Amino acid sequence: MSKPARAVPPDQAAVVLRVLGATALVGVVATVWLGLFVTPPDEFMGNLVRLLYVHPPMAWVAFLAYGVASLASLLYLWPRTREAHFDRLAGASAEVGVVFTGLTLASGSIWGRPTWGAWWVWDPLLTTTALLFVLYLGYLALRRVPGEFHVRARRSAIGALIAFIDVPIVYFSVEWWRSLHQAPTVLNPTTHKTYVHGSMAWTLLLGFVSFTLVYVWLMAHRYRLAKLQDLEDSEGLEAALAERRAEAVAG
Amino acid sequence: MNGYVEAGYVVVLGPLSLYGVTLVARERAARRRVGAAPSGVRTGVPTAPQGAHGDASLVNRGGAENEERGSGS
Amino acid sequence: MLRDAALVAGKDLRIEIRSRVGLNQIGPFAIAVLLLFGLALGPDRQVLAPASAGLFWVAVLLSTVLAVQRSYAIESTDGARDGLRLSGLDPAGIFLGKTGAVAAQLLVLEAALSLGVALLYGAHLSGALVLAGACVAGTLGLAAVGTLYGVAASGLRIRETLLPLLFLPVVAPVLLAATKAWDEALAGTPGRAGGWLDVLVVFAVLYVAIGIVAFGSLLEDG
Repeated sequence: MSKPARAVPPDQAAVVLRVLGATALVGVVATVWLGLFVTPPDEFMGNLVRLLYVHPPMAWVAFLAYGVASLASLLYLWPRTREAHFDRLAGASAEVGVVFTGLTLASGSIWGRPTWGAWWVWDPLLTTTALLFVLYLGYLALRRVPGEFHVRARRSAIGALIAFIDVPIVYFSVEWWRSLHQAPTVLNPTTHKTYVHGSMAWTLLLGFVSFTLVYVWLMAHRYRLAKLQDLEDSEGLEAALAERRAEAVAG
Repeated sequence: MNGYVEAGYVVVLGPLSLYGVTLVARERAARRRVGAAPSGVRTGVPTAPQGAHGDASLVNRGGAENEERGSGS
Repeated sequence: MLRDAALVAGKDLRIEIRSRVGLNQIGPFAIAVLLLFGLALGPDRQVLAPASAGLFWVAVLLSTVLAVQRSYAIESTDGARDGLRLSGLDPAGIFLGKTGAVAAQLLVLEAALSLGVALLYGAHLSGALVLAGACVAGTLGLAAVGTLYGVAASGLRIRETLLPLLFLPVVAPVLLAATKAWDEALAGTPGRAGGWLDVLVVFAVLYVAIGIVAFGSLLEDG
């Protein structure tokens, strides 16, 4: 089955990436400026609401990255769509995802301390995020087990599915576990009501969009890095084999 | 109260920027290393996916993979 | 497939009966864990007894890691997968066999641990049916995930520390559900454990199914 090489001229790709990066940066700066200075404090939460322009986008990206990594792994395992780039995509998304997941936990913790009086609560979403963090780390560790490219890719893809299928199970289990006790939650109805209108809503939307763009930009670069590393590996192998052949001829 | 807000923004934006910067640096370094190595084969995939049981064939199986050519910028 | 499974399970269990590593090492390890928990959480039974279910299941989880590592160690050292792969047995059967053997050993361990928990923490073992049901369903899920990850994370030294990292987070729902089921049983309200038992069964079925499908690929990829 011969497919034509998808030849994206390197210049075009780099330009698109630059534009994307610039847009993302502008978006983030705007979000920060609006969030910190322009939007009003909330009537219940006061200035703490400003953290909610940043924390939910982090969580959204953490789970988006997880979804992309899972989908890419599935596609890699499916024989019709078994392409190297899906494996790289999964790996790139996982690495960026683990960063955002860590930041979700950190920002959630910082919001939680003044809001609930504790650095951590066993909220279903937070707990699932914490577990997602560790699942990501396990997946990334599995990816680093050395081996031939496609062996590694298939192993990682299966590992991804085993781990990521677990996430909904975790979420519903924890949610049920928590519902047995009255407890503070992140997805609190009052939280929603407060910033559904006006500049707060727009800022929140801007936050989601900007950080999603940041994710895409980071992922693109991580993907390119992976491609370069694979190239390096294959060239290294070739050089070694060429040397070996030369020795064999000489000796 | 406000200390938490600033801390939150710093804690998010700091590591994120750091990660972005190091990522780009890693990519540049890898690009330099790859560019320096003398090799004409640029598929980025050492072996073919199917039918190769432990057989490290480095022949460019270009037909088996859909690859982007030209990774230099 | 089932015939191969019985073959593999029989072999693994015979090896265990002969070598008694489970009895000599994993069992004492689990008891040591219970003791350490006791030391950590204080001598007050008011604290320990309510926590019995959770501590029991954490001990089981940790023991599963050991049991799975042992399950793969009994194949030859480096050629762990080669031996299995070249045996010509149906991979799904190998998966079921290994999972079954690990599960069987864990169930025996759990029986002992139940007594341990009753003795050391003062837990009253009521609702025996629920306790047993949670053990069977939960253990099956644990063994399935362990066996799956075990084949990818065993053999070469670089991999062996991977197993706990991969395994423990994934089986968190089993820990949660099994603990809650046991809590209800120990508290005298076994009727309320129904939902949690469902979670355990779903988890077990899901991961046994995944194992049947995916084990072959993982086995090939040495």
